[in-house]
Amino acid sequence: MVKKINEAEFNSEVKKDAVAVVDFNATWCGPCRMLAPVLEALSEEYAGQVNFYAVDVDENPGLATQYRIQSIPFIGLFKNGQFIDQSVGFRPQAQLSGWIRENL
Amino acid sequence: MELYDIAVIGTGPAGISAAITATVRNKRVLLLGSKNLSEKLEKAHEIRNYPGFPAVKGSELAAAMKAHLDSMGIEITEKRVSAVYAMGDYFALQADQEMLEATAVILTTGVVQGKPLPGEEQWLGRGVSYCATCDAVLYRGRDVAVIGYSPREEAEAAFLSEVCAKVLYFPVYEAEPILPESVRVIREKVTGIEADGDRKKVVTAENGYSVDGVFVLREAVAPGQLVPGLETDGSHVKVSRKMECSIPGCFAAGDITGTPYQYIKAAGEGNVAALSAVSYLDQLKRAKA
Repeated sequence: MVKKINEAEFNSEVKKDAVAVVDFNATWCGPCRMLAPVLEALSEEYAGQVNFYAVDVDENPGLATQYRIQSIPFIGLFKNGQFIDQSVGFRPQAQLSGWIRENL
Repeated sequence: MELYDIAVIGTGPAGISAAITATVRNKRVLLLGSKNLSEKLEKAHEIRNYPGFPAVKGSELAAAMKAHLDSMGIEITEKRVSAVYAMGDYFALQADQEMLEATAVILTTGVVQGKPLPGEEQWLGRGVSYCATCDAVLYRGRDVAVIGYSPREEAEAAFLSEVCAKVLYFPVYEAEPILPESVRVIREKVTGIEADGDRKKVVTAENGYSVDGVFVLREAVAPGQLVPGLETDGSHVKVSRKMECSIPGCFAAGDITGTPYQYIKAAGEGNVAALSAVSYLDQLKRAKA
């Protein structure tokens, strides 16, 4: 499951997860909408290993500024609260899965 | 929503050939392109190596191909495909404002002429965007430049002007742009995009313009942008002997796969791609059964 969170929840939850994948998106962004079911499938694939979150950049501009997000969908990978890597734009499930695995 | 078996994107010889073969094999085909087929084919002065048509004019060959499509009841859907998303066991195609779906996709969009601007790919996603409707809000109240390759992009610039503080528009075509007054049109040749502190600088032969974001909007999108995640080799798509791309269910044929840029090669590859797509569909069906 991909959990929708706000900035406060981001700071409390993502920061304490061993591995977290955060999808920064917006309702008006077409590629973001297409990526949502892919991330949902990935959250099943990595259930128990990686926590998945979604952040609306319109509602949480502070986070967008903090991570210098200039293009969405922007997928951030965090380990123990530290930002490790990013993936920008739509990508098929197999590719994103490979990217997550590399970073585990 | 209607799920097609095979979506063919492009109506040059490769796409027409693919659509014909897929139809012969009884697949539900969605052929996307132009009713005028292909501008390149239409303008070919004389083709001398297309078997059965000695010394044929491009326009004559196009007419014969159109008649062939008509005789088989294959219709052309005139929509511009701006993105193809690999969703797993199907593809979603952004066609104008509509989302269309197909189990397999054959890319026959031809080759994109012209190289990216210096700095364009380097700063993509970090101040350079190809999608105004996607990224506009990230530049709310800030300054952007739009490099528009066709009058079609003026609507995007107008949309940006509602959100951004300042919009500079660099037309890369002759016609006079029709834009809101707040958009500043600059008729200078853009030579590159550079970093400018946290901002970007659009460099022209004459000047440099500092902005927060640069939107590069072209008529034809490069294959890697058209199908996000697709393995490409410059402006070409990497394919196997069976015309398979790096994403399962995606095939390509014609100029998009590389040289030689020949009509008969395109038609031949279209045939191979269609047959490969047919066997992909059969495999998928068997796996589900």
